[in-house]
Amino acid sequence: MSTPAEAVSVDGLAKSFGAIRALDGVSLTVRSGEIYGLLGPNGAGKTTLIRSLVGLITADAGTVTVLGHRLPDRGVLAEVGYMPQSPALYADLSVEENVRFFAAVHDLERHAAAQSAADALELVDLSSRRRSVVATLSGGMRQRVSLACALVHRPRLLLLDEPTVGVDPQLRAELWQRFSTMSGEGTTIIVSSHVMDEAERCGRLGLVRFGRMLAEGTSDELRRLAGVERLEDAFLVLSESAR
Amino acid sequence: MSGRRAGAISLRILQQFRHDRRTLMLLFGAPIILLGLFYFLTGGGSSLPAVDVVNLDRGPLGAVLATDLAQSTEISVSRTTEARAASDLSADTVAAYVILPADLSTRAQSGVVAPSVHLEGTQPALTQPVLLALDQSVTRASRNLAAAEGVRVPVLEPSLDYLHGGPGLDTLDYFGGAFIGLVVFLLVFVVTIIAFLRERSQGTLERLMASPLRRADIVVGYIGGFMVVAAVQAVEVVVFTLYALHVHDQGNVALIVLLTLLMTLVAVNLGIFLSMFATTEFQAVQFIPLAIVPQVLLSGIVFPVATEPGWLQVVSRLLPLTYGVDGLRDVMLKGSGLTSGPLLLDVAVVVAFAVALIAAATATLRRSAS
Repeated sequence: MSTPAEAVSVDGLAKSFGAIRALDGVSLTVRSGEIYGLLGPNGAGKTTLIRSLVGLITADAGTVTVLGHRLPDRGVLAEVGYMPQSPALYADLSVEENVRFFAAVHDLERHAAAQSAADALELVDLSSRRRSVVATLSGGMRQRVSLACALVHRPRLLLLDEPTVGVDPQLRAELWQRFSTMSGEGTTIIVSSHVMDEAERCGRLGLVRFGRMLAEGTSDELRRLAGVERLEDAFLVLSESAR
Repeated sequence: MSGRRAGAISLRILQQFRHDRRTLMLLFGAPIILLGLFYFLTGGGSSLPAVDVVNLDRGPLGAVLATDLAQSTEISVSRTTEARAASDLSADTVAAYVILPADLSTRAQSGVVAPSVHLEGTQPALTQPVLLALDQSVTRASRNLAAAEGVRVPVLEPSLDYLHGGPGLDTLDYFGGAFIGLVVFLLVFVVTIIAFLRERSQGTLERLMASPLRRADIVVGYIGGFMVVAAVQAVEVVVFTLYALHVHDQGNVALIVLLTLLMTLVAVNLGIFLSMFATTEFQAVQFIPLAIVPQVLLSGIVFPVATEPGWLQVVSRLLPLTYGVDGLRDVMLKGSGLTSGPLLLDVAVVVAFAVALIAAATATLRRSAS
């Protein structure tokens, strides 16, 4: 399959839950191989946006195109990895069984699944705990297992919803190192966060608030746009001006 | 102990109840529903077992008895011919038929009233009222005759004939088949609803929905996994019931296992379907009194469907367990095989329930995903 220059293209996406407008006409374009950061406070619409990229949200209006396929399209999901905000795992299975299961549901055959699972666990530094039952792991370890489950099938697009919550600073740095490596190998990564030092590591950033895209650009561009030194201040200034 | 701290816990529990309307409705609604059902099942407004009466007596007692039986509060009597009564019994439209023989009055002179009672035999709860009604009528009728003609009150000595089963069967034999169906159905239902609910609550279902898996893959996968365990369980339960408890079996053991497996198929899909309507495991457990207990009461396991009030019989006919239990009884007590119409009907209805619930389970997945 040829790689389109745009990994993700969202146009005018809107979604309401009852009276709450989670998405209010969001548009964005993510280029192949870049790390795109979705920044915004809790309840801004980041999670709804990410969930709509894997077809979990039926939008009220607008279109989503992923890897050249207009959603809804289950077939393209074999090439997408999704890591939800809470580590959604089978607590009664071992680490390895979890990862292999998600490999299998992404159409990897048994032998390939075993090999990919071993690689993914190596990547998140959990090879030594592969036989541990997930229920016995700490929160940070579960977060890493969840990440391994999301990338075990070597997706071309990786969607990470606050992947480093509850992860200690050292491991967080290591994970971001790996995200950079994967991006260098051509994987497109969309990551949501409200931690500003993580935002600095993204190629481009989208500032989401009130279900809208307030501003887009590199961290330097956003700081210049807001006329401030720190990204955190830029975020506050730009949010304020959008009110 | 601190009153204030304990009080905080009590208050918190009441606040939780206030937020959980479902549980409140269960606590205050379920007893009314269940006790109401019990009232209707044990007599209040129930239908009486249907009984055919054939009077062949050449003397006066037969006519008197038949008239008295027609007024019985225990059974509902129709007068008919012997041939018709026999066909009614084998078609299961009556619980029994009573023949008042040609020499009834003659033998009553010598102190014995000997009607012959032909019972269907697979449901003891239907046998009891027939014998009771007969006893009451004989006592009344012969007391009148005795007073009029100055003879001694005769003794009731009915000859009993069973179409199926008979006096050789004990309570365990009657309930064994029904209980196989019930035990398997109940356990598989509870395990699936909890397992599927956990899939929802721990977020893995959402993950599956974000994968190339289709809804049908998920439902079929669940059926596959649970059916492996259920098949082992079905064989275990049937073997234990037949060979350790020595429950009477008239029919093909493979058919019993087949029916049991069909019941588990229904239970798995009922579990997936109902898990849609629960958000916590606590609420899932509440489906046991709501979805299972009425089904147990109405499926004919203890209270024959035929003696329920008419409207309740309609409800019974809408429940899958009714057909499963009926099928298992047909096989184990009547020795029915796949050539038997009523058994085929039971099997067909259970299969239809399974298919409908598979469709419903798949459909609920679709709704819950958005």
